[in-house]
Order: sequence, then structure tokens, then C-alpha cells
Amino acid sequence: MAQDIILYSVFVPIAAGIFCFFLPDRMKILAKTAAIFITLLSLAAAIYLFIKKPAYWPNEIRALFIVDNLSSFIGIGISVFALLVTVYSMGFQEKAFGRFFAYLLMTLGGALGAAYANHLVILIVFWGFLAVTLYLMVNMEATAAAAAAAKKALIIIAGTDALMILGVGIIWNLTETFLMDRIQLPLTSFYSFMAFITIAIASFAKAGAMPFHSWLPDVAEDGPTPVTAYLPASLDKLLGIYLLARASMSMFIMNDASNMILLVVGSATIVLAVIFALIQHDLKRLLGYHAVSQVGYMVLGIGTGTAIGMAGGLFHMINHAIYKSCLFLTSGVVEKRAGTTDLSRLGGLAKLMPITFTCFLVAALSISGIPPFNGFVSKWMVYQGIIESASAKNYLWVIWLVSAMFGSALTVASFMKLLHAVFLGRPSKDFTKVKDAGLFMAFTVVILASACIIFGVFAFVIPLPILIIPAVNRAIAYIGIWAPAVATLLITAGIIIGFLAYLFLRPQSFRTVPVFEGGEDNTEFARVSGVEFYNTIKEINPLGAIYAKEEAKSFDIYYIAKRLIYSFTRYLQKIHNGVLPSYLVWCLMGMVVMFLILFLVY
Amino acid sequence: MSLLPLLIIIPLGSGFLIPLFGRKIKGIADLMAIFAAFLSFALSLLFALELKGSGVLACSIGDWIPPVGLAMVIDGLSGLMLVVMNLVAFLVAIYSVAYVKDSRSKWKFFTLLMIMVSGINGVLLAGDIFNMFVFLEVAAMAGYFLVAFGTGADELEASFKYAVMGVVASVFILIGIAFLYSYTSTLNLADMANTLAIRGPSMVLPFVATLFFMGFGLKAALVPFHAWLPYAHSSAPAPVSAMLSGVSIKVLGIYVLARIFFNVFGLSPAISLILITLGILSMVIGSVLAFGQSDIKRLFAYSSIGQIGYIALGLGIGTPLAIFGALFHLFNHSISKSLLFLNSGAIEHSTGTRDLNKMSGILSAMPVTGYTTLVGSLSICGLPPLAGFWGKIIIIFACIKAGRPAIAFIAASISILTLAYYFKALTPALFGAVKENGSKERVKEASLAMMLPMLILAFVSIAGAVLLLPAVGQFLFNSASSVLSNGAEYANVVIGALK
Repeated sequence: MAQDIILYSVFVPIAAGIFCFFLPDRMKILAKTAAIFITLLSLAAAIYLFIKKPAYWPNEIRALFIVDNLSSFIGIGISVFALLVTVYSMGFQEKAFGRFFAYLLMTLGGALGAAYANHLVILIVFWGFLAVTLYLMVNMEATAAAAAAAKKALIIIAGTDALMILGVGIIWNLTETFLMDRIQLPLTSFYSFMAFITIAIASFAKAGAMPFHSWLPDVAEDGPTPVTAYLPASLDKLLGIYLLARASMSMFIMNDASNMILLVVGSATIVLAVIFALIQHDLKRLLGYHAVSQVGYMVLGIGTGTAIGMAGGLFHMINHAIYKSCLFLTSGVVEKRAGTTDLSRLGGLAKLMPITFTCFLVAALSISGIPPFNGFVSKWMVYQGIIESASAKNYLWVIWLVSAMFGSALTVASFMKLLHAVFLGRPSKDFTKVKDAGLFMAFTVVILASACIIFGVFAFVIPLPILIIPAVNRAIAYIGIWAPAVATLLITAGIIIGFLAYLFLRPQSFRTVPVFEGGEDNTEFARVSGVEFYNTIKEINPLGAIYAKEEAKSFDIYYIAKRLIYSFTRYLQKIHNGVLPSYLVWCLMGMVVMFLILFLVY
Repeated sequence: MSLLPLLIIIPLGSGFLIPLFGRKIKGIADLMAIFAAFLSFALSLLFALELKGSGVLACSIGDWIPPVGLAMVIDGLSGLMLVVMNLVAFLVAIYSVAYVKDSRSKWKFFTLLMIMVSGINGVLLAGDIFNMFVFLEVAAMAGYFLVAFGTGADELEASFKYAVMGVVASVFILIGIAFLYSYTSTLNLADMANTLAIRGPSMVLPFVATLFFMGFGLKAALVPFHAWLPYAHSSAPAPVSAMLSGVSIKVLGIYVLARIFFNVFGLSPAISLILITLGILSMVIGSVLAFGQSDIKRLFAYSSIGQIGYIALGLGIGTPLAIFGALFHLFNHSISKSLLFLNSGAIEHSTGTRDLNKMSGILSAMPVTGYTTLVGSLSICGLPPLAGFWGKIIIIFACIKAGRPAIAFIAASISILTLAYYFKALTPALFGAVKENGSKERVKEASLAMMLPMLILAFVSIAGAVLLLPAVGQFLFNSASSVLSNGAEYANVVIGALK
């Protein structure tokens, strides 16, 4: 029964997706209905599996799929986000996005397959399959930029999938099994270490950690917004971090070196990505860099190797999926209503779009790690994990802690800019008639924003004991004291006092006049868009060098590899001069070499 | 009387009848070619199913006592190859009807195509090395002419290069055969294998092996003997490119290499080493060169060099798993690469260009061609769950299992490179906005005769993995790979079957 449900929840969405793919455009309503229906069913199945947790298949080919605390938690996450994005898209889709729901359903099935897989080859299959569906979904935005972003994403993600084949092959050679729950590989030999690296790389690429991140900002900027909220912001994070957690918690016995790799990658990702985020001037691209930066906390948490750090990493994963999809979906509303995501053109939308603004604000505060929202709790746990991992002879933990906190500070800074540029400030004249989100879109973002609050305020009541702690499956000792309920009350009280103070103590009322210059109304010109907030940061020295390198694409592994290969290609093209005799000479030389080898070895 | 010779007689016969009738009666050339190709495919399928019971089918022409005389043999390996190659040939024949529709010398095209098919079938059936050579030349000659079919400057140059290099290879092969004959006094492959096993190693063998590696390596387009391929495959008419890439290089090159070195010489470490080296060279150089291509057919042509490298590598590793992977990869590559060449023909037909940089939005203008191109490329790049993925993963696993993780690393890296060069070039052409090209009319979808073969090949590319299931088609690959992994048994099995 239970194993049938696993199979159904993987293959029914895929089959439905294939069916929707072939539906003609005028029957789109059928695709929409099917999508809602199937995502609801998937959620029901995921919750059922979470409660029942059937361990294995009972027969010989047992254990092809595994449902334990970790994977069933991921399964629920995947289904929830699929459902939310589906509901949102009911309101968002107008253009010829006919195949959107087909791909969405296929992605849902593939993601559930990857989450429940116990056989590593099955994992690889679904992993690569998701790269293909992401590619197709990003390409639905029929522009050259979207095509470029899509191919980059495909090449990086599916490319690392090929590397994972290598790692799985090594694991198979060392342990004679493909089943994840039977693998417990110590990282003592070179090959087992390589296997770990390949799997870590695959999860980095999927989640978007550096240096495999460069596809993410591109996709965020140029891909369709619901797609960005669905895959890079939530599902890819869930799966990438799931695999990393699975690898470091059960498949491999971690040692200092392997943890060190994760710590370095994690802190570098946090700091560098947020530095890049500061100077972006496109709403979606900026969010894309934050989607990279936040992965750093998850990797860092897992890299600490402590129970609370891992719990923090996993909690941050789900929190990030919530607030980042909220951010993307609200910016989707902005994009749809205002017709642009260029920060220099946006501004002053808060009054026109109160629901969107509120939700965006909540999510922005969450991602910045402001208490009492959810982002704070998980970051707090990651910090505790770093401190707990500290040992007498090792002072490196200070670096990890400082970079995590520094990254958090810069996140606040860049969201100040974002909030100002999009929602506050003086509105541009073009946007006086902008409306707020429609029913479906508002419903989704409100749910996500409420989840940010609930997961923050009731962190120790709802998400942690039910979802996270069982998944980590180790005893957790909290070091610091954090009582969110009390804190929330205090913070709320503080806000109320501040508001009263503003009401009663505010300075002399002021008047607003248009800006004139030489008798001409010049309000539009004098608008402060917020884009320039941190432009001067480029002049600070170490940062300036980093920005210069980023502009030269030195952090983009895709670009570096491309240039490297091109140099080989050009050389080889020069040799292939089209002259027949030279080709014949190669043949002759090849023969001579072969003869020598055969003569000597035969 | 055995039915085996029919596989040669039918296409060869149609090759003679088509010029007789096709010049006079309009439209009959296509029908005859399709009919003959279909019969040939049906027969090969029949033989392959028959193999499941008996293991090997053999007949001795003219009832000479073997090993004297002309022997025809189908075992697991040639059975698999026959089915795949005749399927491709049949679909190519259908496609060609639309492709050469406007040509005045249509009958010449079909004549040459059918002669090529008969040559291919002959190589696969031949039980002795000299007939193998003769049929190889038949297929290769037809190939030279077909490449030049367009008679433009490009085509003629390509054909000339192909012919010169091909003839050089053939000469070396012939010299090799002469040496081998003088050493063993027999031409029958099975008998030759026995004689070589009895007489033991000699200085002749490395020399002959070198000649064969060069000769058949050139036909297979292994680096450094590959230089003709990008010219020939890109200048030939699309269906011919599909035949060359999907069928020719595999039968004339890989199949013969495998047959001779596994079943006659016996796989020695030296031969293994050469195969692996050639394989890796082809993988790396073919793929790196493909990275710089924006001409759709040249891209596919260089990619063929890279993928042939995988097959050679798998064979060179030599473990049963690796051979299985290599053969499955061969099957995938035959199907997907002929699909891609057919696609390229349809695209060129509709857009009038082969330059990928000038295309955009193919997928919305020509959905069938576009999506089948996507399927073919995804399969070649080895993306799950398409058939190509399984060939790739088996080869990589086999390398690791055989204790060669470094080679597995190269294979995995090249598969990333493959992915990169395919999608770097194809994505902007397939997706993106539909280009408005002012004066010209809108780009149209290919005609039905073109779409049908593409759809069938795309279906096989998607569902090919099903063949790995034990209940469905695994026996085909199992029996083929066991022929190679139990190399020495071939002689006894064949001689037993001939008697």
C-alpha cells in the first residue's frame, strides 16, 4: 500500500504532465484543473507518507525508495510549494504559457522521485530529469536572454549530474551497493573522498552554492517568475540541501577535511553572493544573488557537523524556500502589474499594492534575519552550531561565524535598498494606476508570509519538533536562550511605542511640492530611485577588486570553462587546415605510433 | 536453402531495378526503395528473433564444405546490428522521398542508397574476411558518390577528401588481409581464429593489427584518422549524413574492428590499450572541436567523432559490462544521431541555412522538428531518462569497475562537454523568439514523409531504455555482448553451425 503510494506520487504527476503537454492550447483549463487536482493529491500523499513512514519495499527489489523522517519532510515541502505555485500561476499566466502546467507537474513528480529515491541510480535519473524540466520551463520565456540562462542552468546542473555518476560508480565499486541506507563510507581513502566531492558538487550546483551558482541569478532575472519561485528558490534548494544532508549525515562518515570544504564553500557563498547582490539594479537578479547567498547558511550549518548546526541548516532550507518564494512571487506581482523589474524605474508602490508590500516586507525581514521571523531562528541555530563546533586547537570557527554575521548584515543593507527602490520613495508617473495582486496571487503570497511569521514565532512548537529534529535524528542542545513568543511580544510592544512616539512627537508637519527647475516641472528627474544606494561601495578597496573580478566573470565557472575550452578549440581548428596531405600525414603518424606500441607490447 | 542471402539480394536487386524502371516511371524509384528497405528490415527482425532460439544462423553458399567457400553468419552481434542498421536505413528511405523530391536524378540517389544498404548488410553477414572487404568497399563507394550527390563545390571537395582517405584505408586493409592470408592460409573468419590460436603469436600480428586499426579506424572516424568525417557528413544530403553517421561508421568501422579483434585475434592488452587510446583521443578531440561549431551539421559530425570514441573506449575496456555499455551506446547513437541529421535536413530545408546563429524559435515554427531535435540532443548528451543516459552510465560504471577511475573521469567530463556544446549552440536556435524575416514567407514545418521517420526515431530515443529490461529486449544486447566477451568461442560456434 505505502510503496504503491510512493510510486503513484512520483509517476502520476509525470504522466499527467505528459498528458498536459499534448493538450491543445484551447483546452488549457483542463491542464489547470489537472494541476490543482494532482498537486493537492500529491500533498495528501506526502502527508500520509510523513505520518506512516513505511520503511522499505517488502520484496526483493526492496529499498528502491526510502521514506524516513528526512525524505518525507522534503516530500511535504516539495508538494506544498508545487501547490502554492500552481495556485499563484492561475492568476499569473496569461501569455502562451500553455505548457507551464505540464512542466510543473513533471517537475513535481521528478522532485518527489529524487527525494524518495534510495537507489542512487534512481536519484541520478530524477536529478538530471529536473535539470531538463528547469531548462524547458525557463525557456518558456521566449527571449534570447532566457535561452542563454536556460542553457547555462542545464549545462551546470546536468553536468554535475554526470559528475555524480562518477561518484556513484566509485561508491558502488567500494561498497557493492547502490542503496543509500546501506552505505556508510568512511572518508579515509582518496576515492571515497572523491565520491563525496562529486555528490557535494551535485548538491551545490542544484542548490546554487558557489562556485556553481552562476546560473541562478541569470535564471532569476530572465526566466518566468513563477518558475524561479518554484525551482531555484524552493525545490532546487530543498533537493540540493537534502542530498548534502543525506550524504553528510548517513552516507559518508565525515571528517575534518570534508567538513572544512563545506565550511569554506558556505562562508564564501554567503559573503561573496551578498556583496554582488548589493549592486544589482534588477529586482529579480538581486533576489537571485540572495538565493545564492542564503545557501551558504545551509551549507555552513551542515558543515559544522553538529546536530544543532545541521538542524539549523535544514530549518534554514525550508525557511529560505518559504521567504524566497514569497519574495519572488511578490516581485512577480510587481512585474506583472508594473511591467518592469528595473529598480530605477520602480518606486512608491507601497500605497498602490498594500498586500504585496506587506508580504514582501515580512519576507524581506525574514531573509535579513530580523527576529521574530523564521529566518532569524534558523540563522541563530546555525551560529550556535558554529560555536559548538569550536574546539581548543581550532580557531577557524571565528571566521565562519564572522562571515555568516557579516553576510547577514549586508543582507539587511541590500533589502533596505530593495524596499526603498520598489515600494517606498516617490512613485514614478507611469505607475499611478497600478493595481494590487489578484485573488490567486494574493492568496499565495499571504500564505507564504504568514508561514514566515508562524515558523518564526512558534519555531519551537511547530516546525522544529515536528519536521526538523526528527529529520536530523540526533539529540539537540540549545546553547543560547531564545524565547520567540516573549520576544515577539516585546518587539511588538516596541513597535507600538515607536508608532505612538511618531504620532505624538513628530516634528512640524511639512508640505510636499513638485520639483521645479527653471519653471519646468522636474519631479521625475529628481526622483531618488535607490539604485545608487551602494554604488560607492565599489570604491572601497578589497570590495572594488572583487567587483572588478565579478564583472570580468572570474567567479563564473561556466564562463571560465568556456574560455578554456575555446582556446583548445581554436588551436585544434588551426591544425585542421583542410589540406588533404596533412590529414594523410596524421594517419601515417598514427600508424607509426600504433605499430610501435603494438610491436612492444604485443 | 537458407534465407540469409536475401538480406543482400533484396537491396542489391532493388539497386539494379531502380535505374531500369525509375528513369521511366515517375515515382516508382521511391516506392521500390522503401519497399526493399522495409523487406530488409523485416527480414533482419525475423532473423534476430530466430536467434533467440538458436544463437547463431549460418549458411554456406553453394554448399561448399566449410571453411572453404562463402559463408554467411548471423550471430548475436551481427543480429543486433542488422536490426538497428536496417531500421535506420528504412526510415532514411522514407525521409529521402521528401528530401530529394525535387531532384531530377532521384533514381540515382535511391540506387546508390540501396547499394549502400546491401554493402552494409553484406559486411554484417560475411563470414569470411575477403567478402567483408568487398562489401565494405561496395558500401564505401556508394558513400563517396552519395556525398557528392549535390554536385556543388563543397560536396565535390568533401567527396574527394572522403574518397582519397577511404581508398588509402582500403588499401591498407587489403594489405593486412593479404598478410593474414599468407600467415593462416584461410579467409574464413572462424577458421582463421582457430589457426591463429594454434600457431600462436608472431611478428605478423602487430603489423596486421596496425594496418587494420588504421583502415577500419579511418572508416570509424577515430582520431587521428577522422579528418574526412566533418567534410563528408556535413556536405552530404541529410539522409545520407544520417546513413553515414548512424550506420556506416559503425558497421564499416566499429563492427569490423570488434569482429576481427575480439573474435579472430582475441583481445590482448595491447589491442585493448590501442582501442582505449583511440577512444579517448576521439572523445576529447571530437568534442573540443564540436565546441567551436555553429554549423548544425558540422556540430553533429564532430559529435559523432566524440561518441564513436565512447564506443571504442567501452570495447577497449573489454569487461562484459563495458562491452554491453558500448553496444548499447552504439545503438543509441545510431538512432539519435540519424535522427539529428534528419532534423538538420528538415531545418535546412525550411530555413535555408545551416548556421545556428541565424536561427531562432525553431521550436514554435516547426514543433515536430524542434522537439525531436531536442529529444535527439538530450539523448546523445546522456540526459536521463532518455536512452543515451543508460549507455553513458554503463560505460562510466564499467570503467570504474574495471579499475580505471581516471578514464571514467575523462568519460564523465567529456559528457559534460558534450552537453555544453550541444546546448550552447542549439538552445538559442530552438528557443527564443521566432525571427521575422521580412521578405521570405514564414518557416514551415517539414512534410509528413520527413516527420514520420523523425517521430519514430525520437520515440526509440525516448523509449530505448525499455530495451534494457530483461523481459523486452535485453537478450539482443546480452547475446551481442557475449559474442564479444567470449571472443574465442566464436570460431567453434560458427564452424559448428556451418556443418
